[in-house]
Amino acid sequence: MSEQTQHRWGMAIDLDRCTGCQACVAACHAENNLAVSDPASAAKGRAVHWIRVDRYYEGEFPDVRVKYRPVLCQQCDEAPCEPVCPVYATYHNDEGLNVQVYNRCVGTRYCGNNCPYSVRFFNWFDPVWAEPLPLQHNPDVSIREGGVMEKCTFCVQRISRAKDDARADGRPLQDGDVQPACVQSCPAEAMVFGDLNDPESKVSQWAKSGRSTKLLEELGTKPKVFYLERAR
Amino acid sequence: MSLYLAGTFRTKEAAVQAIRELRASGYGPGDLTVFSDEPAEFPRGVLDRPSHMSLAVVLGAVVFFVLVVAFVYFTQYNYKLVTGGMPIFSFWPAGVVFFEMTMLGAILMAFGWFIWESGLLRRDKSVPVPAIEPELICLRVRCAAEQFETIAAALENAGARNVGKLA
Amino acid sequence: MAPAPIPYHQVRDDLWRPLKGASKRYTLTLALLSAVALWGLIAWGYQIRVGIGVAGIRRPVFWGFYLVDFVFWIGISHAGTLISAILRLTDADWRKPVTRAAEAITVFALMIGGLFPLIHLGRVWLFYWLFPYPNSRLLWPNFRSPLMWDVTAISTYLTGSVIFLYLPLIPDVAQLAEHARGWRLRLYKVLALGWTGSDREWHALERAMKLMAGIILAVAVSVHSVVAWDFAMAIAPMWHSTIFAPYFVVGAIFSGLAGLIVALTIVRKTMRLESYLTPHHFGNLAKLLLLMSLLWLYFTFAEHLTVWYGNEPKEMSVFGARVSGRFSPEFWAMVVVNFVVPFVLLGIRRLRSIRTAAIASIGVLAGMWLERYLIIVPTLSMPRLSAAWGRYSPSWVEISITLATFAAMAALYLVFAKIFPIVSVWEFEPHTQEEE
Repeated sequence: MSEQTQHRWGMAIDLDRCTGCQACVAACHAENNLAVSDPASAAKGRAVHWIRVDRYYEGEFPDVRVKYRPVLCQQCDEAPCEPVCPVYATYHNDEGLNVQVYNRCVGTRYCGNNCPYSVRFFNWFDPVWAEPLPLQHNPDVSIREGGVMEKCTFCVQRISRAKDDARADGRPLQDGDVQPACVQSCPAEAMVFGDLNDPESKVSQWAKSGRSTKLLEELGTKPKVFYLERAR
Repeated sequence: MSLYLAGTFRTKEAAVQAIRELRASGYGPGDLTVFSDEPAEFPRGVLDRPSHMSLAVVLGAVVFFVLVVAFVYFTQYNYKLVTGGMPIFSFWPAGVVFFEMTMLGAILMAFGWFIWESGLLRRDKSVPVPAIEPELICLRVRCAAEQFETIAAALENAGARNVGKLA
Repeated sequence: MAPAPIPYHQVRDDLWRPLKGASKRYTLTLALLSAVALWGLIAWGYQIRVGIGVAGIRRPVFWGFYLVDFVFWIGISHAGTLISAILRLTDADWRKPVTRAAEAITVFALMIGGLFPLIHLGRVWLFYWLFPYPNSRLLWPNFRSPLMWDVTAISTYLTGSVIFLYLPLIPDVAQLAEHARGWRLRLYKVLALGWTGSDREWHALERAMKLMAGIILAVAVSVHSVVAWDFAMAIAPMWHSTIFAPYFVVGAIFSGLAGLIVALTIVRKTMRLESYLTPHHFGNLAKLLLLMSLLWLYFTFAEHLTVWYGNEPKEMSVFGARVSGRFSPEFWAMVVVNFVVPFVLLGIRRLRSIRTAAIASIGVLAGMWLERYLIIVPTLSMPRLSAAWGRYSPSWVEISITLATFAAMAALYLVFAKIFPIVSVWEFEPHTQEEE
């Protein structure tokens, strides 16, 4: 314990590398036991994507530019979703994660309304997977029942696993030990994840880059996802 | 041995007159009770019943305020959860809760003090109560048996009807 | 001002007559209303069983009809507070026959409105976690949350309103007890608390009523401010506005007054209380309604002008949708029934009557419901990141429950008017003992 320094998890996404392939979306689904929806419920706004790729088109054909931005929970240090939960189902832990406690949530959905990034999702029903999908479930992640709010956790189960492994091996956690599913799966290597308290970590380096921006920074939410994009 | 007698008045002035005379003879607000089917509003000094209700309500409010602030403070520190980067306990975000509970203290005290001050639930069942006559004012006097005649005469002089002992 | 005073026995007969027996029309109406209310209950049960997804709410519109209904009914509850508290404090005697009808609306509207925080919960069976009680997890509720403010505010307001309704009822039930039989006798005797009409009791009652009027006024203002802050404390576009608290309070008094006028019109006709609820009363209420309509218009205008002039992009999306886009039919319908109709019907003296007051009030009720809808849904449909924009449409469950609350309100009111005199007898009779 005494060798463990306080972590502060953060992520950096290089938008100039992102191709919008959505491998991160698929990986997140697989890793976190996300509910699957059909076209009807998706059209009804019931689809769940903890990480999604927002697409924006600029200009008219043939001078169209498409911009991709993977949006996930920004784990804001001053998260607007946290103070409004009446039962403390979402709070900030000491590693800087915005934690969602499934079995405390009563489902008022105020947090979903107050998130300016619209990254929170609600379980409208108990989730159902058509066979054989339940065989693919990740045993490290709980299944959320209907009436409970959920969102990206920075793959907290992988963080815990990596910390446990490091402790078992008697070594400190190293940069690159923790890789959320989305970061791991990105073919363009556009995403990095790590400890912002470690100045040597890749995410700290990327965050200090001249191209580093934050989404909706003017709201003062202090997000911990850094988007690297060419200054325009 | 005290007994109760009562007489009914048509007008407020007659009742006030009778009460003034009886008070001059030494009968106090404890011996005199007026019954009516609507609030009997006499001029000042006739039959005042001092009340501490306002003070009690303020006290109730203050007590609830102190209790709720302490409660919120101790519960929020009991299990420290950081939300939105805000301090564990801060006065103004919970200020509404403090206000409402303060008002609740005032409300409960107002109701409770009303029950107490009106003497409703702790009425002595052995004391006779005249039937409330609509549009009439009934004055009940508690006096010693020997005084009965004098009081009855005084009431009748002031214009009371149906003067008699209450069973 | 008043016509020749009605003799006391007539007053009592007239005001007690509706309590006796139940006409066929009454029973039929009550049965119909109860059926609709029951259907709503079944719909809610279905929702709990199958999942809240049977309602039309979705991401990003996490709050829909249920929150609209919540704000609407809490708003209606301000009827009693305005009439009873404000007019009591200003010694406006004309309010006397109207107070109990208004206070009853308050209590029932609060009971119904207070159900919606339960109805909209995802896991309603755990609703008690919003109350502070010691538990093995050592957890307490988050008092910082505006929803917790709601819990405390509405509980306090409900407690206060029930007491405020009950206190002036005591002398009436004491009188009723002397002439009742059977279950009514038992009920009235218990509620009368042994009231004898002594001057000590009267003084205590009047003092308590005066204090309660002041307290309940403060609580009512805070309650609807708190409900407004459920939205204003959020940083969603066009929600995060400082005007919301007074805007909602004014809107609440406005809708509460409209509800009261509708209730009184029906009560007056069906219980034949024409001599007690006179055109004079309706005239005053109509003028108040007109005043509130103008105030509402002022707040609405100020809010919209500020947003439009500020031209902040995220807010302008919502503004545009409301005023000229997807929601514009509802928006302009709201302006017409909230302002134009009352202004014409109640502002032109020749047109002002009990009937037009009732028509204007029904319009205002619809308009104020629409106003709450237009505050909640457009903002949530258009969050800051436009990739997350969505559309909302209610499902049969939400519609059923909404309609059921109107039926339940009417049913509760009908039952109340059968058990207690809807016009306060002891307050009505012209005081023979004091000057007018």
